[in-house]
Amino acid sequence: MITKAFKTVFFKEVMENLRDKRTLMSSVIMGSFMGPLFALGMISMTAQMGKEKAEKQLELPVINMQFAQNLEKHLLSNDVKILTLDKTPEAAIKDKDHDVVLEIDESFSDAMQAGTPAKVKVYYDASAKGAANVSVRRVKALINGYSSSIGAMRLQLRGVSPNLMNVVKIENHDQATSQSKGAQLMLFLPYFLIMGLFVGSMYLAIDTTAGEKERKSLEPLFLNPVSRTSILSGKLAATVSFGLLTLILTLIAFKLTLPFYPMKKLGMSLTLGLDDLLVMLVVLIPLAVLAGSVQTIIAAFSKSFREAQTYVSVVMFIPLIPSMLLMFMPIKEKLWMYAIPILNQNIVINSIIRGEQIGAAAIALTVLATLILGLALAWFAVRLYNKESMLFTD
Amino acid sequence: MIHVDQISKSFGEVQAVKNVSLTAEDGKITALLGANGAGKTTSMRMIYALITPETGHVTVDGIDSKNDPVAARARMGVLPDARGLYKRLTARENIAYFGRLQGMSESDIQRRADELIERLGMSKFADRQTDGFSQGQRVKVAIARALVHDPQNILLDEPTNGLDVMSTRAIRAFLREEKARGKCILFSSHVMQEVSAVCDEITVVDAGVVRAVGSEAQLLEMSGQHNLEDAFVHLVTQGGDA
Repeated sequence: MITKAFKTVFFKEVMENLRDKRTLMSSVIMGSFMGPLFALGMISMTAQMGKEKAEKQLELPVINMQFAQNLEKHLLSNDVKILTLDKTPEAAIKDKDHDVVLEIDESFSDAMQAGTPAKVKVYYDASAKGAANVSVRRVKALINGYSSSIGAMRLQLRGVSPNLMNVVKIENHDQATSQSKGAQLMLFLPYFLIMGLFVGSMYLAIDTTAGEKERKSLEPLFLNPVSRTSILSGKLAATVSFGLLTLILTLIAFKLTLPFYPMKKLGMSLTLGLDDLLVMLVVLIPLAVLAGSVQTIIAAFSKSFREAQTYVSVVMFIPLIPSMLLMFMPIKEKLWMYAIPILNQNIVINSIIRGEQIGAAAIALTVLATLILGLALAWFAVRLYNKESMLFTD
Repeated sequence: MIHVDQISKSFGEVQAVKNVSLTAEDGKITALLGANGAGKTTSMRMIYALITPETGHVTVDGIDSKNDPVAARARMGVLPDARGLYKRLTARENIAYFGRLQGMSESDIQRRADELIERLGMSKFADRQTDGFSQGQRVKVAIARALVHDPQNILLDEPTNGLDVMSTRAIRAFLREEKARGKCILFSSHVMQEVSAVCDEITVVDAGVVRAVGSEAQLLEMSGQHNLEDAFVHLVTQGGDA
């Protein structure tokens, strides 16, 4: 129902909010650009650190290197820089001086002579952050390489083919495409888009209802000869518009930062065309109605701006649940899942990023299910102010 | 003209207003006089059709406000107890917003806003955003936006509450001008001098009930007192609880 009052209220709320530069910056601009920029920074940094660890000369503190001169030659020929250690290996790992420490057992050379397994100890912290495990893997691979080359030599000396040791040979057929590997990095995207949308509409949802009540301008507003439904519809439309604005800016920000992701460095690729982004926009538009309505309803029940802000912020964690579930659990998509708002947007966006085809039925169901719930909540939010108890803070 | 017939309202167990009746005629200023918590604001809210009375009727120029609250509101200009402005809009924009909601044309809004800004002495701050306005400036803007559609009936809930002498005088003068134009003015107050200075008819309410109705002279006569304050105290305590 587009009445003159609806338009009047809508334009006034939009204009008033655009004049509030600080809120505009913190909700719309931050809400849309923070996520993509933060992700870009994190991923670039991780890729850079991993690359450095993998390519840099490996520095390895070794205890009792003198017991294993042959191994020392092997390590040196593999460009390892061997260091000595002035404290215990446990302390060196704990103090984060080194990612990994190698200790040659005193019985090493005797065991070698006897042809029994010679023992070395590798000290590391499997829970260490960052790229520490890259160094651990490199050390283990070097020692395993040494072990199997000596083993093969021993067999050959005895006239036995080393191939007898290889009973089963694994041939890897990884079905991941470089696009789907790239998608792994983008698991956060649905959450950022949905979050941006909620952040964008939050301020207006509160300001136009609980805020207006607190500033005591709601009562005079309702004294005009127009229905409260028209007034609230206009307010809700303005709220939803700002959610949509933030959503569109998030998509643009993401598209703009996409070329800067270090995909090649990680052996991945990620292409998202304008049509992909449009599908994302289409499935997210009805969610803007839902987000604005939910926030308006919560704000309506709050006595003050601050109270509303607290409740609405808590509700922002709800969209996190399906995003998290999908991040950690492999879920086989079924059609009914597209009928659950927020879960369906997550699934659709994830599929788009992975470069998979999505059926028209799935998209239609996503849009319809979200829109119906959104409109139902919008109707409820608008009707809420026909109750007298909603009008006053006192 | 506003006619109130036996309206009541309770909130939970508390009966805030009980069978209040009054008539506010055109060309007169009528006061609803009562102490804090006497039920003035609740009565006013029912009269200007923000909340619905549990019993009784309110008619505004013959329109029953329960049957057609929107039409009744169009006949009224109300300065409610809550008078918050939009602080990121200028005074003029605040007025124009309400003008549009009253369904006025842009040219009418412009003309009427200019007139009210002139008459209420607002020209110095009319085009400033209202953030940081003084109490007096805010009330003037609130009155101007409430009356932008030049309504026949003007209702004000404690209009001069917290204002300085100059602002109070400006508002009183404005109300007298409107009275001279034949408007029906109803306002609530707990300030005796105010009521004494501007009102023609007085309805005294206490504990949600009408205690007396009449002109100032009639109230003095009724109570046998020499000033309105003593008369008021006498009228509200004659029930025997003082």
